[in-house]
Amino acid sequence: MRPTQILSVGKYRHLKLTTKDVGRGFYKGNRTGSMGRHTKYGGYLIEWSKVRTYVVPQNLSESKLTPFVSREVRSEPGDYKGLSKGPQDPYFYVEQWKRYNGVD
Amino acid sequence: MSIAAAPNALRASSGCASRLWLSLQKSPSSSLFLQVASFSTTAPQCKRKTKDSNKRRGVSSLYGSGPREPLSMSNMPLPKPVEFKPKIEVDESHGLWGFFPAPGKLLLTPKETEEHGRAWEVEELRRKSWEDLHALWWKCCKERNMLATARAELLRGKLGFGEREIDSRDEEVTKTMRAIKHALTERFYTWQDAVEVARSDPEINLEGGEGQVYTPSAYEEGYDDVPAVEEADKELKEPTR
Repeated sequence: MRPTQILSVGKYRHLKLTTKDVGRGFYKGNRTGSMGRHTKYGGYLIEWSKVRTYVVPQNLSESKLTPFVSREVRSEPGDYKGLSKGPQDPYFYVEQWKRYNGVD
Repeated sequence: MSIAAAPNALRASSGCASRLWLSLQKSPSSSLFLQVASFSTTAPQCKRKTKDSNKRRGVSSLYGSGPREPLSMSNMPLPKPVEFKPKIEVDESHGLWGFFPAPGKLLLTPKETEEHGRAWEVEELRRKSWEDLHALWWKCCKERNMLATARAELLRGKLGFGEREIDSRDEEVTKTMRAIKHALTERFYTWQDAVEVARSDPEINLEGGEGQVYTPSAYEEGYDDVPAVEEADKELKEPTR
């Protein structure tokens, strides 16, 4: 759930939102989002489709990748000459798929 | 108000009650007589009697000459704090150590924080598999958690240094994460377009069962040279040049 749109533009963007700025039903977001909904009896229902699930790879500790690459390694631009959409070219994708995955 | 005393208690006649007690202890012979010592509740009587005319001697902590003559507590050694460090059992392999640079290490020094490489480029990530990118994303998350812990710790201690180094390192990790998102979004859009292309490809039958999707019309010689093992390795990798 996002904060009410009118509150995130204009002068309100720079002011702290209080209950006096808004009418009934306005929602002040806290950048986390909801995990369910309120019932009309004042309770709260958890909706499991809204609850965040974090999928961490199983063998994360075995992975040798780091967030950084050595500065000794020079980055070279990819060679996508002749492709109309560069690396996003679908024909190139299909060609590569045929090459590596097509025949099992 | 004072009461006349036995001759050996005269010294104590002008002193405080504590000094009186000491003098009583020192004179065993006095126990024979009825002990009558001078006792006074008047404040001036309790004043320290010294030869020193300087009333503020020993008050200053900067000019530490100390008193000129020994006081009653002078030969008492100052108590020293007990050396006590509690030993706490810590699990070295606990997952919460992931918030710190190493188990048992609270912070990186600014110099160590500065020692990092550059961020990954999109071009380098294009040739990585989904598993690699997934792992790399979580590595970045852990790194940022560690940096956020360090930043909070520096702010808490009001140390006033090290934040610039942390910010620049954090920025570099963010660049890597941005590149991962770039590579994956691009791959997804390309895949969407490639499905359309595959529909119109005569060699590809998307409705075919497993192993029946691709029926190559003609083998090119170069393609046969790729051994099967190598193909299996590259199965998960994305197209590369």
